[in-house]
Amino acid sequence: MSAQRVAEMRPALASVSHPAWASGLRLVWLHATSRRFPAALGALAACAIGLRIALIGHWDAYGALQLPLIIEAASVCVLTVSTASPLGEPERVAGRWLPWLRLGSVVMLTAVAVGALAAGAVGGHLSGGILDVLRNVAGLTGIGLLCAALVGGGVAWIGPTAYMIAGVYALYTQWHSPAVTTPWMWPGRPPHDLGAELCAGLVFTCGLALFAVRGARDRAGE
Amino acid sequence: MTAASAPVLTRPALVERRPGLSTARLLLLELRHNAMLWMLPVALAVFWFLSYRKTMDLPPLWNLRATDLHTRAVADLIVPVTGAAALMGSREARRRMTDLMTSTARPRWARLLVTWAATTIWALVGYGACLAVIYAVTAHQASWGGPLWWPVVVTAASVVAFSAVGFAAGTLLPGRLTAPLVAVGSWFVLVLSTQLITGSQSYWQISPVVAGPWDDTLDPGVATFYPYVHDLSIAQVMFLAGLTVAMLGAVAWPRSSRRVRAASAVVAAAGVLAAGTAVRLAGTGTLDAHGMIAIPALHDAASDLPIRFTPVCSRGSIPVCLNPAYSRSLPAVAAVLSPVLREIAGLPGAPVRVIQVAATYKQGTGNVISTGLAGGALQGEPPEFRLLLPDQQTGGPFLTNHELAGQVRDSIGPAIVASLVSDGPDASEAQHAVAAALSMDAGMPAGTDYPGQPVPRGTRVQGHQETGQGPSCSGAGCGSGAAGNLDKSSPSYAAARRFAALPLAAQRSWLAQHLTALRAGQITLAQLP
Repeated sequence: MSAQRVAEMRPALASVSHPAWASGLRLVWLHATSRRFPAALGALAACAIGLRIALIGHWDAYGALQLPLIIEAASVCVLTVSTASPLGEPERVAGRWLPWLRLGSVVMLTAVAVGALAAGAVGGHLSGGILDVLRNVAGLTGIGLLCAALVGGGVAWIGPTAYMIAGVYALYTQWHSPAVTTPWMWPGRPPHDLGAELCAGLVFTCGLALFAVRGARDRAGE
Repeated sequence: MTAASAPVLTRPALVERRPGLSTARLLLLELRHNAMLWMLPVALAVFWFLSYRKTMDLPPLWNLRATDLHTRAVADLIVPVTGAAALMGSREARRRMTDLMTSTARPRWARLLVTWAATTIWALVGYGACLAVIYAVTAHQASWGGPLWWPVVVTAASVVAFSAVGFAAGTLLPGRLTAPLVAVGSWFVLVLSTQLITGSQSYWQISPVVAGPWDDTLDPGVATFYPYVHDLSIAQVMFLAGLTVAMLGAVAWPRSSRRVRAASAVVAAAGVLAAGTAVRLAGTGTLDAHGMIAIPALHDAASDLPIRFTPVCSRGSIPVCLNPAYSRSLPAVAAVLSPVLREIAGLPGAPVRVIQVAATYKQGTGNVISTGLAGGALQGEPPEFRLLLPDQQTGGPFLTNHELAGQVRDSIGPAIVASLVSDGPDASEAQHAVAAALSMDAGMPAGTDYPGQPVPRGTRVQGHQETGQGPSCSGAGCGSGAAGNLDKSSPSYAAARRFAALPLAAQRSWLAQHLTALRAGQITLAQLP
């Protein structure tokens, strides 16, 4: 097609173009599908169902605190892995709206994860309550986003899972002294502990900012 | 050399085929490009942060360090190993290389086994580093005994099995979510398995994180006086080996020829059978009298024989003798007992030595275990006072020498006095008073403002708090029959004060004449000097 032909077709193309919001929506949709958000949403729903099933059992104090934390970590791993981009450098060069898309998508997925787990806990006794879920998921997500920016989205789950082991240990030490009391080990702190909430919030903010600006450190093709 | 003079090859040169060498080269390649290598720093950091310091805080006893390392290493390694193995298993699919790799000369399953082997080798290297550090430090610190190898074998088999599970998941369900979900899921199963253990006959004891009776805190006395019972370890290794074989058999199933599929199905079935048998065996376990899980079908009667050892003894009129593993505690224990032992030495019926013995264990309801001394404290001719250190009764947290000495003074000292005068809840007022007087003279607790019942001597109950945590035996009112609970306003206490005020020679003279009658309950308070 020659340049002249394109010039001739431009008015016709303009008449069939969609409004700006529609192209924006399409951009968001493309971003979401490239990160396999539908699969991630399905996995988050599975985690919520897993929590609901776990809450049916009658656990002792260890199980009542540790099993929800493990399921929260699983949700965060799903969320974190969804930050990986299959497009790599070409997308970074061309994507002007990428920081906003990353920011929005992660906030949305975090909210969905917390909401799904909260819905899964309805009708069961969730130790620590929804506030505990919010704090743990936010903090773990922050760690996952930092890992995504530093080592890559595909393996960013390593950070939250390693922290999960430390968190389970912090809960264990509530019965086996010396107890881990640092607010940086927020899963081991009570739900209304301000220090723990601040630490989790700080990690989430740092992770979100770094990820929004730099994105996941990924190569194309994987 | 010109083209004309070059030798003409009539047939291709024979190249010697060395399949072993090519496999080794492939293994080297896989070792260099393996996710587990990059996961090792994470695994080692988790181990250092959560396990190393905690294990090193334990007394330097081989049984404690080895079983603690077993439990902690399994918990620390399961997530990184399964995660890394799942990453390696799904590598070809994630990089869209499956078709390309299928066209290579080497069979798919053989290629995958090499990748799995490389992952497992790095995982074992990581575990080996943790083990070497813990065992080297313990060898330097321990005063007696040697390393336990069965816990090491179980942990190593666990690492191999975790790697197989992760690899099979990655190969059969390749995807970006596979590795994290398998890693977290394996941890979930591990935690869940420990939640379901009830009593010593639970099938869930097959969980590789279990090193002994679950919910019983680490006990320094276990595997110190009797050999480490490896019945449960054998069942766990059998289960883990079966699981590994089944997983690797499943890996060979897809995209293979009919013959390979048939072989892999047979292998996987054999693995499942072995694992199932091991679970069945674990369900037949019982807590033996020495605090370990014995499985009748796997039990070696030799492990019921006590370990021979030469006790380490203090000097003194009545020596205090401990198992050599506890030699670091001997000076403190002997020092706090010396006042009371000096006081009673040479009296009729007084022990000729105090010797540490093994505790006996009994399974209660659920995970509750009771620990105590089999038979009376004073046994033999000439009589010996049989001693259970507080460490052997209370479990963790472990005591420093200073704390141990305090508890020995408060519980064992009065118990020695009580055994001499046959004091106890049913003893006479005079027996209470004399026991209290001797305790006072030795600087031990002899009276209380608490009017309740004395705590049973030498018995503890362990388990969940909600299922009945027994009071630990320490402080006044513990271990001295009734003397420690003597009401300070009672006539017995006044008589005890009067007797204690006598010179030591007068006390000993009176006791030498009247001790037999006192033990028989034939002396009244009024007859005490």
